[in-house]
Amino acid sequence: MKIELSIKPREKPFIPIEAESITPASFLEKMTEDITVWSGNREKKLTEIFDVKKSGNADSQKDVEIILNGDCSAVKRVGEYMKDGKISIMGNIGMHCGNFMSGGLIEINGDSDSWLGREMTGGEIICKGNTGDYCGSGYRGEKTGIKGGKITIMKDAGDYLGESMAGGEIIVNGSSGNMPGSEMQKGTITIYKDAVLPCPNMRGGICYVLGEAKEILPTFKQTGSIYNSDHKRELNIYEGDYANRSHKGKLFAGKTNKK
Amino acid sequence: MSELLIKNAYVIDPINDIKGEIMDIAIKDRMIADSVSDSAEVIDAKGCLTLPGGVDSHTHICGTKVNFGRYMSPEDMRAGRGRAQPHMYPVSGYSVPTVYANTYRYSALGYTTVLEGAMAPLEARHTHEEFFCTSLQDTMANTLFDGNWSVMEAVSDKDLKRVAAVVGWTLAAVKGFAVKVTNPGGTEMWGWGKDVGCIHQKIDHFGITPAEIIEYLIRANELLNLPHSVHLHCNNLGKPGNYKCTLETMQRTPNLNDKRQTLYMTHVQFHSYGGTKWGDFCSKADDIAWMLNRKPQIAIDMGQVMFGKTTTMTADGPMEFNLYRLYNNKWSNHDVELETGSGIIPVFYSRKNLVNSVMWSIGLELALMTKNPWQCMLATDNPNGAPFVKYPEIIALLMSSRYRDEEFAKIHPDTGKRVHLPSLDREMDFYEIAVMTRAAQAKALGITDIGKGHLGEGAYGDVAIYPIKNNDIDPSRDYSKIIEGFSLTDYTIKSGRVISRHGNCLLNGNNRTIWVKPKISEEYNMSNDPEFVKKFERYYSVSMENYPVEEEYMNKRNICIETETGL
Ligand SMILES: [Zn+2]
Repeated sequence: MKIELSIKPREKPFIPIEAESITPASFLEKMTEDITVWSGNREKKLTEIFDVKKSGNADSQKDVEIILNGDCSAVKRVGEYMKDGKISIMGNIGMHCGNFMSGGLIEINGDSDSWLGREMTGGEIICKGNTGDYCGSGYRGEKTGIKGGKITIMKDAGDYLGESMAGGEIIVNGSSGNMPGSEMQKGTITIYKDAVLPCPNMRGGICYVLGEAKEILPTFKQTGSIYNSDHKRELNIYEGDYANRSHKGKLFAGKTNKK
Repeated sequence: MSELLIKNAYVIDPINDIKGEIMDIAIKDRMIADSVSDSAEVIDAKGCLTLPGGVDSHTHICGTKVNFGRYMSPEDMRAGRGRAQPHMYPVSGYSVPTVYANTYRYSALGYTTVLEGAMAPLEARHTHEEFFCTSLQDTMANTLFDGNWSVMEAVSDKDLKRVAAVVGWTLAAVKGFAVKVTNPGGTEMWGWGKDVGCIHQKIDHFGITPAEIIEYLIRANELLNLPHSVHLHCNNLGKPGNYKCTLETMQRTPNLNDKRQTLYMTHVQFHSYGGTKWGDFCSKADDIAWMLNRKPQIAIDMGQVMFGKTTTMTADGPMEFNLYRLYNNKWSNHDVELETGSGIIPVFYSRKNLVNSVMWSIGLELALMTKNPWQCMLATDNPNGAPFVKYPEIIALLMSSRYRDEEFAKIHPDTGKRVHLPSLDREMDFYEIAVMTRAAQAKALGITDIGKGHLGEGAYGDVAIYPIKNNDIDPSRDYSKIIEGFSLTDYTIKSGRVISRHGNCLLNGNNRTIWVKPKISEEYNMSNDPEFVKKFERYYSVSMENYPVEEEYMNKRNICIETETGL
């Protein structure tokens, strides 16, 4: 089954749309007319916000593909709790895309806003543009971020990438902002370019900063260096964060700058 | 004039010695009346259990501390979310929920009166602001005096009247209800990175002991003729072996008041620990209950712990620091100038944890071993032991030994060697539960005279009707029905108006704040005392003129209890 959603022009395009109902499961289980989204504080039919074209049939979520056309940068929570199937986003997407996702694939051709793949446990997200803050992290106050699955960002990521990460993999082909991997417990983060203040208070897990790691905290201890054949460069190895009671984290950095 | 008639109610009203009778309750213009006219609105209780509105004599729902719990645990707001409804605001949160969530949930349990357990005088305005929005309960605030410099100096000078004068001035200034003492002296010592070991250790700079602070405050409390007694959170909370300290505190308590207890000891579960360290930690609830049974001048609340997630918050800063070192999670620490301090950390009480399992047992043991239910109230020190929404489960545990046995089988296997719970077969009845959840609490707080906690003529029309039919239910076997029944009233009525029906809160409950104003002669008025005035000038961050909470600041319907004093 293929569902093509094209966002209609809106009078007030800045009003956020809460669209946790855009998942393969809802299209499989519900009639399109019965699916609703919230536009600001009003509940509206999905068809009032999007032009919906549905074709083909599906027996399981795996066979469902959703395509989002147009500028969806105000559309939030697309693919929340997604278990299987595919969502292709042709342009930009709003916050909290792929929240709690446990399977399937989300492909974003534009940029994604903050909280991409928040607390996801499985599946894959590929973002061909930039992503905002808190990609792959836990929500405010939460002690665990992403626990499984894979997030790939082709350009840059914002601040707090993979905060409280407890499993899975995050790859950023560009740079990240401040404090990637803060409170990290498990899993792997790879940043191909630069990062600032990497991994504060990390307890475990591995973080690669293949470009320059700016302002490595004084609570990290350099234990040596290694030639990494995968990435073809010399990397300094750090252990930390010694500010934490448990400090089994490993940080590998290309160039370093300790403040 | 509004009139309401509750027909065919199975009433238990311990203060008026009604132990289960089918009767009608008439309410005229907010108050219980002898009769009402034919035009009164009628509610058919259908023989269901009908009690006076619940009274919680120790809970933390309003004030800076609670609010800081909200700040530091945004994840708590992910639980308990509810949408706005015609007469209700949207809510969220579990252990430190929004103000409206607290008030709606209390009303669904049938509670119409609550006492905030700890208000720092300097931060009273915040508490009163939240009281204002606790729209379905009448509220009162315990006011903290554990580390008050003026009190400690007066104790050091052995000047009882001055202690009373400071307490009286402060209570009236901040619109407080009662004297609360949290780890007396310990909060001041914590300002220097220390704590007090037990009640005879001297407090730096002041040269006095916690025992002296307690003794003087008890006598000052009686001199001021306050409705409630001193409300004490003992020293050494949560430390193995602290039961000795608790016992000695009880032992020293005089009997000075024939209407109520002379000392209210709160969350005694946390103070009934044997052993010397966590390795040999055990219950000493038997010793504490034995002492309580011999001391009618003391009343306690259980401070029951229930398994699950919650937030601990107390003025006892050093204790929270110890907890922080145990859990290594987030922690907040706060100092309140010349008065007190506080600490907050989130916790998780686990069935698989031996210490937590023993704590769970101790609270129940205290209630079951206390012979007179009027001396032991049902409370969790919300949210410290558990959020108050767990009260129905505690009621069921007290009413059913079968339920206790089933729960006991699920906790840490070594618990049996350290507690007495499996040997206790007492099963409480509805009367005892009614005592522990409203009558005893109202009596202990001294608010029965103003018409709270009972259904006598002239009392406030506060009534809770639970979907429980006394004859159809065997609480020992049908404990799940007890939990269900006490979790959601059919009707909660406050001041003669239905405020909650099956959990749908119907309207604003005309909430009042009850506070005390001791009548003190000019000679003892601290506003005229040069040394007291100087304290504000030199040390406080606010001036004396700006310190009191103005009456206009509170809601208009408040109740002021003026007392005749010996000053
Ligand atoms: Zn308390």
